[in-house]
Amino acid sequence: MDKILLVNNKIEELTRVAQFMEELGEEWGLPVPLVFSLNLVMEEALTNTIAYGFDDDGSHTIEIHFNKAGALLSIIITDDGHEYDPTQKKDPDISLAVEDRPIGGLGIFLIKKIMDSVQYRRINNRNNLILTKNIES
Amino acid sequence: MNVNVVTSNDCSIICVEGRVDTTNANEFEKAVMEVVTSGINRIILDCSGLNYISSSGLRVFLIVQKKMMAIKGELRLCCLQPGIQEIFDISGFTSIFSIYPNQDLALK
Repeated sequence: MDKILLVNNKIEELTRVAQFMEELGEEWGLPVPLVFSLNLVMEEALTNTIAYGFDDDGSHTIEIHFNKAGALLSIIITDDGHEYDPTQKKDPDISLAVEDRPIGGLGIFLIKKIMDSVQYRRINNRNNLILTKNIES
Repeated sequence: MNVNVVTSNDCSIICVEGRVDTTNANEFEKAVMEVVTSGINRIILDCSGLNYISSSGLRVFLIVQKKMMAIKGELRLCCLQPGIQEIFDISGFTSIFSIYPNQDLALK
Protein backbone atom coordinates (compact mmCIF):
# COMPACT_ATOMS: atom_id res chain seq x y z
CA MET A 1 0.00 0.00 0.00
CA ASP A 2 1.32 3.41 -0.95
CA LYS A 3 0.41 6.98 -0.19
CA ILE A 4 2.05 10.24 -1.08
CA LEU A 5 1.67 13.53 0.76
CA LEU A 6 3.05 16.83 -0.51
CA VAL A 7 3.66 19.52 2.04
CA ASN A 8 4.66 23.14 1.62
CA ASN A 9 7.50 24.53 3.79
CA LYS A 10 5.16 26.27 6.20
CA ILE A 11 4.63 25.37 9.85
CA GLU A 12 0.83 25.66 9.44
CA GLU A 13 1.01 22.63 7.14
CA LEU A 14 1.56 20.46 10.22
CA THR A 15 -2.15 20.66 10.98
CA ARG A 16 -2.89 19.16 7.58
CA VAL A 17 -0.24 16.50 8.15
CA ALA A 18 -1.89 15.52 11.46
CA GLN A 19 -5.23 15.16 9.66
CA PHE A 20 -3.61 13.10 6.93
CA MET A 21 -2.05 10.79 9.52
CA GLU A 22 -5.44 10.23 11.18
CA GLU A 23 -6.98 9.34 7.82
CA LEU A 24 -4.07 7.09 6.89
CA GLY A 25 -4.39 5.35 10.25
CA GLU A 26 -8.05 4.63 9.61
CA GLU A 27 -7.53 3.55 6.02
CA TRP A 28 -4.67 1.21 6.88
CA GLY A 29 -6.23 0.01 10.13
CA LEU A 30 -3.36 1.21 12.30
CA PRO A 31 -3.80 1.18 16.09
CA VAL A 32 -4.45 4.59 17.67
CA PRO A 33 -1.24 4.63 19.80
CA LEU A 34 0.79 3.95 16.65
CA VAL A 35 -0.92 6.81 14.80
CA PHE A 36 -0.03 9.07 17.76
CA SER A 37 3.63 8.00 17.50
CA LEU A 38 3.76 8.38 13.71
CA ASN A 39 2.12 11.78 13.96
CA LEU A 40 4.87 12.78 16.37
CA VAL A 41 7.59 11.44 14.07
CA MET A 42 6.18 13.41 11.15
CA GLU A 43 5.90 16.60 13.16
CA GLU A 44 9.47 16.36 14.47
CA ALA A 45 10.96 15.62 11.05
CA LEU A 46 8.95 18.27 9.22
CA THR A 47 9.42 20.97 11.86
CA ASN A 48 13.19 20.64 11.47
CA THR A 49 13.03 20.75 7.69
CA ILE A 50 10.58 23.64 7.53
CA ALA A 51 12.33 25.72 10.21
CA TYR A 52 15.98 25.11 9.31
CA GLY A 53 16.15 23.27 6.00
CA PHE A 54 15.93 26.05 3.45
CA ASP A 55 18.34 28.91 2.86
CA ASP A 56 15.85 31.12 1.05
CA ASP A 57 12.35 32.38 1.82
CA GLY A 58 10.87 30.73 -1.24
CA SER A 59 8.25 28.05 -1.45
CA HIS A 60 9.45 24.45 -1.36
CA THR A 61 7.60 21.17 -1.59
CA ILE A 62 8.44 18.38 0.80
CA GLU A 63 7.45 14.94 -0.45
CA ILE A 64 6.45 12.17 1.90
CA HIS A 65 6.00 8.61 0.69
CA PHE A 66 4.29 6.10 2.92
CA ASN A 67 4.48 2.40 2.21
CA LYS A 68 3.14 -0.57 4.10
CA ALA A 69 4.31 -3.99 3.01
CA GLY A 70 3.02 -6.59 5.42
CA ALA A 71 4.19 -5.51 8.85
CA LEU A 72 6.83 -3.13 7.53
CA LEU A 73 5.95 0.53 7.42
CA SER A 74 8.32 2.85 5.55
CA ILE A 75 8.22 6.60 5.39
CA ILE A 76 10.52 8.51 3.04
CA ILE A 77 10.71 12.27 3.40
CA THR A 78 12.50 14.17 0.66
CA ASP A 79 13.21 17.87 0.22
CA ASP A 80 15.45 20.15 -1.81
CA GLY A 81 16.86 22.01 1.18
CA HIS A 82 20.53 22.19 2.07
CA GLU A 83 22.31 18.98 2.96
CA TYR A 84 21.49 17.92 6.49
CA ASP A 85 21.88 14.49 8.01
CA PRO A 86 19.85 14.36 11.24
CA THR A 87 21.14 10.88 12.05
CA GLN A 88 24.51 12.49 12.88
CA LYS A 89 23.01 14.54 15.67
CA LYS A 90 24.20 13.44 19.09
CA ASP A 91 21.53 12.01 21.37
CA PRO A 92 20.65 14.16 24.38
CA ASP A 93 21.70 12.93 27.81
CA ILE A 94 18.30 12.12 29.29
CA SER A 95 19.77 11.25 32.68
CA LEU A 96 20.71 14.86 33.48
CA ALA A 97 19.07 16.72 36.36
CA VAL A 98 16.56 19.46 35.54
CA GLU A 99 19.09 22.29 36.02
CA ASP A 100 21.47 20.69 33.55
CA ARG A 101 18.98 19.60 30.91
CA PRO A 102 19.26 21.81 27.85
CA ILE A 103 16.01 23.23 26.47
CA GLY A 104 15.18 21.47 23.21
CA GLY A 105 17.09 18.93 21.16
CA LEU A 106 14.59 16.12 21.63
CA GLY A 107 12.99 16.03 18.17
CA ILE A 108 15.38 13.76 16.28
CA PHE A 109 15.87 11.66 19.40
CA LEU A 110 12.13 10.95 19.59
CA ILE A 111 12.13 9.90 15.92
CA LYS A 112 15.00 7.48 16.55
CA LYS A 113 13.30 6.03 19.61
CA ILE A 114 9.93 5.52 17.93
CA MET A 115 11.12 4.15 14.59
CA ASP A 116 13.17 0.97 14.18
CA SER A 117 15.56 2.50 11.67
CA VAL A 118 16.42 6.02 10.57
CA GLN A 119 18.65 6.46 7.55
CA TYR A 120 19.75 9.48 5.60
CA ARG A 121 20.82 9.74 1.97
CA ARG A 122 21.67 12.70 -0.20
CA ILE A 123 20.50 11.90 -3.74
CA ASN A 124 20.42 14.37 -6.66
CA ASN A 125 20.77 17.35 -4.33
CA ARG A 126 17.84 16.20 -2.25
CA ASN A 127 17.68 15.09 1.36
CA ASN A 128 16.10 11.68 1.84
CA LEU A 129 15.14 10.62 5.31
CA ILE A 130 14.17 6.96 5.32
CA LEU A 131 12.25 5.74 8.34
CA THR A 132 11.03 2.22 8.93
CA LYS A 133 9.09 0.46 11.63
CA ASN A 134 7.84 -3.05 12.10
CA ILE A 135 4.27 -2.32 13.11
CA GLU A 136 3.23 -5.76 14.19
CA SER A 137 5.92 -6.26 16.76
CA MET B 1 -5.72 23.34 22.59
CA ASN B 2 -7.44 24.76 25.64
CA VAL B 3 -5.84 26.00 28.84
CA ASN B 4 -7.93 26.64 31.95
CA VAL B 5 -6.51 28.02 35.16
CA VAL B 6 -8.14 27.80 38.59
CA THR B 7 -6.31 29.55 41.41
CA SER B 8 -7.07 29.07 45.08
CA ASN B 9 -5.10 30.42 48.09
CA ASP B 10 -1.70 29.05 47.41
CA CYS B 11 -2.09 26.84 44.38
CA SER B 12 -2.95 27.16 40.72
CA ILE B 13 -4.38 24.26 38.82
CA ILE B 14 -3.77 24.48 35.10
CA CYS B 15 -5.80 22.11 32.93
CA VAL B 16 -4.49 21.65 29.43
CA GLU B 17 -6.65 19.96 26.81
CA GLY B 18 -6.08 18.81 23.26
CA ARG B 19 -2.79 18.97 21.38
CA VAL B 20 0.36 20.85 22.29
CA ASP B 21 2.50 20.91 19.17
CA THR B 22 4.76 23.14 17.09
CA THR B 23 1.82 25.22 15.90
CA ASN B 24 0.61 26.23 19.38
CA ALA B 25 3.45 25.61 21.86
CA ASN B 26 4.11 29.37 22.09
CA GLU B 27 0.51 29.98 23.06
CA PHE B 28 0.75 27.23 25.70
CA GLU B 29 4.01 28.69 27.02
CA LYS B 30 2.47 32.14 27.30
CA ALA B 31 -0.57 30.85 29.20
CA VAL B 32 1.49 28.82 31.66
CA MET B 33 4.18 31.45 32.16
CA GLU B 34 1.48 33.96 33.06
CA VAL B 35 0.67 31.75 36.04
CA VAL B 36 4.34 31.16 36.88
CA THR B 37 5.11 34.89 36.95
CA SER B 38 1.96 35.69 38.97
CA GLY B 39 3.96 34.80 42.07
CA ILE B 40 2.13 31.59 42.95
CA ASN B 41 4.61 28.99 44.13
CA ARG B 42 2.56 25.85 43.72
CA ILE B 43 1.31 24.76 40.32
CA ILE B 44 -0.50 21.60 39.35
CA LEU B 45 -0.62 20.90 35.67
CA ASP B 46 -3.55 18.59 35.02
CA CYS B 47 -2.91 16.71 31.77
CA SER B 48 -6.03 14.53 31.74
CA GLY B 49 -7.25 16.21 28.55
CA LEU B 50 -3.84 16.39 26.88
CA ASN B 51 -3.89 13.87 24.05
CA TYR B 52 -0.83 14.82 22.02
CA ILE B 53 2.53 16.40 22.69
CA SER B 54 5.63 16.90 20.57
CA SER B 55 9.11 18.15 21.46
CA SER B 56 7.84 21.74 21.15
CA GLY B 57 5.43 21.03 24.01
CA LEU B 58 8.02 19.12 26.05
CA ARG B 59 10.25 22.16 25.74
CA VAL B 60 7.60 24.27 27.50
CA PHE B 61 7.23 21.71 30.32
CA LEU B 62 11.00 21.85 30.88
CA ILE B 63 11.09 25.66 30.84
CA VAL B 64 8.30 25.81 33.43
CA GLN B 65 10.01 23.24 35.64
CA LYS B 66 13.28 25.20 35.53
CA LYS B 67 11.47 28.45 36.37
CA MET B 68 9.59 26.90 39.27
CA MET B 69 12.80 25.44 40.68
CA ALA B 70 14.52 28.82 40.33
CA ILE B 71 11.83 30.49 42.45
CA LYS B 72 11.78 27.56 44.88
CA GLY B 73 8.23 26.78 43.86
CA GLU B 74 6.70 23.43 43.12
CA LEU B 75 5.32 22.03 39.91
CA ARG B 76 3.33 18.82 39.95
CA LEU B 77 1.84 17.04 36.97
CA CYS B 78 -1.12 14.73 37.10
CA CYS B 79 -3.26 12.45 34.96
CA LEU B 80 -0.92 11.79 32.05
CA GLN B 81 -2.56 9.69 29.33
CA PRO B 82 -0.58 6.53 28.41
CA GLY B 83 0.69 7.99 25.12
CA ILE B 84 1.94 11.13 26.85
CA GLN B 85 3.49 9.07 29.65
CA GLU B 86 5.38 7.08 27.03
CA ILE B 87 6.84 10.23 25.48
CA PHE B 88 7.83 11.43 28.96
CA ASP B 89 9.53 8.08 29.60
CA ILE B 90 11.44 8.16 26.30
CA SER B 91 12.57 11.74 26.92
CA GLY B 92 13.73 11.11 30.48
CA PHE B 93 11.07 13.53 31.74
CA THR B 94 9.48 11.02 34.11
CA SER B 95 12.43 11.37 36.48
CA ILE B 96 12.58 15.18 36.41
CA PHE B 97 8.89 15.85 37.10
CA SER B 98 6.67 14.93 40.04
CA ILE B 99 3.86 13.00 38.40
CA TYR B 100 0.68 11.97 40.19
CA PRO B 101 -2.11 9.66 39.03
CA ASN B 102 -4.88 12.12 39.96
CA GLN B 103 -5.50 15.70 41.04
CA ASP B 104 -6.36 14.78 44.65
CA LEU B 105 -3.01 13.13 45.20
CA ALA B 106 -1.22 16.01 43.48
CA LEU B 107 -2.98 18.45 45.82
CA LYS B 108 -1.85 16.69 49.01
